[in-house]
Amino acid sequence: MSKQLITLTVNGDAYEVAVEPQQTLLEVLRDTLNMTGTKRGCTAGSCGVCTVNGERGQAILSCMALAVEWDGRSLTTVEGVADGNELHPVQQAFLEFGAVQCGFCTPGLIMSAKALLDVNTDPTDADINVAMAGAICRCTGHIKVKKAIREAARVLRAREVSDGAS
Amino acid sequence: MARVKDDLAVVGKNWARLDGIDKVSGRSIFADDVRLPGMLFGKVVRSPYAHARILNIDTSAAEAVPGVKAVVTPEDAKDIWIGINQPLLPAEKVNHVGQEVVAIAAISEAAATEAAALVKVEYERLPALLDVEKALADNAAQLHAKAEHNIGWKQEDVHGDPDAVFAACEFVREDRYVTHPTHNCYAEYHVCVADFTKPGKLKMWTPTQTALLFQQSLAAGFKLPASDVRLLTLNSGGGFTGRTSTRPHHFLAAMLSRKSGRPVRLRASGDEEFIMCRAGGKVIYKLRSGADKDGRLKVIEADLLFDTGAYVESQMIVTLLTSKYIHALYPLEASRYRGRLVHTNNLPYYFHHGGGIAQFQFALGQHIDGLARDIGMDPVDFNLLNAVEEGHTTMEGAHYASCGLKECIEKTASLAGWKDKYGKLPKYKGIGIGIGAMASGAKGLFKHDTSAAFVKVTDDGKASLFVGLPDMGQSSHTAMAIICAEVLGITPNDINVISGDTDSDPLDVGAFTQRGTFNTGNATRNAALDARNQLAKTAAALLEADEATLVFRDHKVYPQGAEDQAIPFKKVVYQTLHSREGRFVMGRGFYNSPLEKGTMAYSFGAQIAEVTVDPGTGVVTVHKITAAHDVGRAINPRIVEGQIDGQIFSGMSQVLYEETILEDGQVMNPSRIDYKMPRAFEMPEVEHIIVETIDPNGPFGAKEVGEGPIVCTMQAIANAVTHAIGNQVTEMPLSPWRVIKAIK
Repeated sequence: MSKQLITLTVNGDAYEVAVEPQQTLLEVLRDTLNMTGTKRGCTAGSCGVCTVNGERGQAILSCMALAVEWDGRSLTTVEGVADGNELHPVQQAFLEFGAVQCGFCTPGLIMSAKALLDVNTDPTDADINVAMAGAICRCTGHIKVKKAIREAARVLRAREVSDGAS
Repeated sequence: MARVKDDLAVVGKNWARLDGIDKVSGRSIFADDVRLPGMLFGKVVRSPYAHARILNIDTSAAEAVPGVKAVVTPEDAKDIWIGINQPLLPAEKVNHVGQEVVAIAAISEAAATEAAALVKVEYERLPALLDVEKALADNAAQLHAKAEHNIGWKQEDVHGDPDAVFAACEFVREDRYVTHPTHNCYAEYHVCVADFTKPGKLKMWTPTQTALLFQQSLAAGFKLPASDVRLLTLNSGGGFTGRTSTRPHHFLAAMLSRKSGRPVRLRASGDEEFIMCRAGGKVIYKLRSGADKDGRLKVIEADLLFDTGAYVESQMIVTLLTSKYIHALYPLEASRYRGRLVHTNNLPYYFHHGGGIAQFQFALGQHIDGLARDIGMDPVDFNLLNAVEEGHTTMEGAHYASCGLKECIEKTASLAGWKDKYGKLPKYKGIGIGIGAMASGAKGLFKHDTSAAFVKVTDDGKASLFVGLPDMGQSSHTAMAIICAEVLGITPNDINVISGDTDSDPLDVGAFTQRGTFNTGNATRNAALDARNQLAKTAAALLEADEATLVFRDHKVYPQGAEDQAIPFKKVVYQTLHSREGRFVMGRGFYNSPLEKGTMAYSFGAQIAEVTVDPGTGVVTVHKITAAHDVGRAINPRIVEGQIDGQIFSGMSQVLYEETILEDGQVMNPSRIDYKMPRAFEMPEVEHIIVETIDPNGPFGAKEVGEGPIVCTMQAIANAVTHAIGNQVTEMPLSPWRVIKAIK
């Protein structure tokens, strides 16, 4: 099958890549662009490990998205969440609240949580449960993950207040 | 023993894990992220049958696929054996579905997959033995020449005179429980990258709980000196007792690399993950116990039958371990144990998270709960009456130098409001308790149980700590940095933990049998003390003080009680290095328990589960777990809580959901959707109580927390379900259909 040239913007940088029609976003990120921060899990959309964020911040399972459909579009991966060396509040909260253990599913958890917090900085427990329903994490049992998300939401709300005041 | 809380500066505070920033930023490297020049991709051709004779293998079409660089067949693997009786690639017959027959390496995963589909293997199907009890029957075919009645391993122990003690008991209870096959389900699938391109030198990147045992196993398989096999452990995406020994894919990747002259990556695809993973098989537990008229437990008898599947590698450990845990919780007058590993044509099983002990406690915990109710006692009162205490020595010789079991039971019962709830809840609501003990290490199971550590102190006042203990997520490296920092009077963030290369790692058997914090922790403490003693000579001269009185704390060194004279730690290091002798500070330490076997420290715990059962659907909802654990001392309390949380998840997952459903030896639910685990919305509220007994032999009093919690969870939830519906569900998982059957 012939390859197609697409333009994909990842974390603000535009890349021109030749992709086969069946190639997934996950494969292009990891194997073509060498961005291995997004991990390869079940490759069947059931574990959430490979989650990235689309242009509206939405959570995308990169193992289930065809790269050709992303021609001309942009996405954010875990490598693009921090602002330089300054961690995003959700990353900081995961770190401080012990929500990270083996770290393999962590990129997917962070991107799922960020997708929620980008549109809702005051989530209920039910909102968090829905946002994280696609993620499996055997190490943490989600307990400290949920705490970290609530903490990140608190920090983001405080920022909104101070931004509003300034 | 007095519980003196010394004034510690670093141990016992909450420290973020040292590798955390990399892990939240996508910078952590795992084996699947390794990219080597010229790297090929492997694929394995597997048996579709549970039992079949191999008549012919034709790889010609596969070899003709463009990009195929190596094909490995049973011809190439004639003298490579795994464990007792498993050929790496079988020449004559396959003994389980998914057994490796041929391996291929190609320039892309797609080419390797295409070629694998073109390998033609002719089989003659043979009748398969798929049920552990049928495999044991007199008329069953024998799968291995040396395994009579298909028994691959047997362990029997008797202590005291069980028959006489039973005869004198007022209450005797008998039960039969079953646990079904499972899968470890770590986030990171089975994967390895092998570089065997240099003759006689093998390099391998793979997730593991023990690089040392992997190194020894690969060296034995390829008949190399162990030091010519170099294991490189990056991050490991979970262990859960499932990465404690090599699997066929490790050998196959190495063989493909040797044959092709290029590095090879071999990784499980979705379905394959459930075949390559060798977790727990079906186990049948027959239990009998007896108590006197006052409710004192006197004797326990256990007969365990394990489906060990097609081959035996290291699974005998599970019988050794379960045999010890009969005595662990209660002082008994007698006991009897029999454990048998029985061959079938199912997957070669090892163990699931909890090492067989947690699953055994599912059975024993329910059995004891039943006995308490037979006697007419509240299970909490029964456990408090019977639980072991500090100073106890079990019948097989385990000595409890510290023991907070009764404190754990009392504190969970009080916080959970047990007395107001047990026997008083509305129908279909239940509360249950589970108690457990766990050894911090298991000397005698391996060639040795030594852990070692080096500490290199640099003249900027920082240190590098070298350990051979892997960190699969339990934060062991950060714990070791905390211990080292406490001794040197600096902070964990001043310490760079170097680990994961068998060429430079100090000796360490690895992170399993809960030996890390205790064994490697003691080694790290000893290495840091050695470094501190070297620095103390300089500091004593500078301060004109006695070495023995020096305090190392907050980046300063001063004589006890004279903080105003303090000199910076950095200055002491600088002076040591830049003195006339130019002494470079390199501390070394090791720890090896003075015992012949076993361990010096045991942790204890109690958990109370609160559940609701839906009588219409049989679905169990867990609302809350109250967990109290005697961990000796919490080196890093929030991380200790995280270990408890993860094990509650895994225990709940196993007791309620996890089962690999088999049909003709084939896993019918090989995906993360069909093999159910709890999602975020199903997790209960968890309350933690950390009990610190400050063990006299642990580093700063610490014991393990790696598996102590999970042994409590399954039984606590099962006992809560019994309380809710009035009957025990004797098979795990407590799937809705099993719960409904038990209600009726």
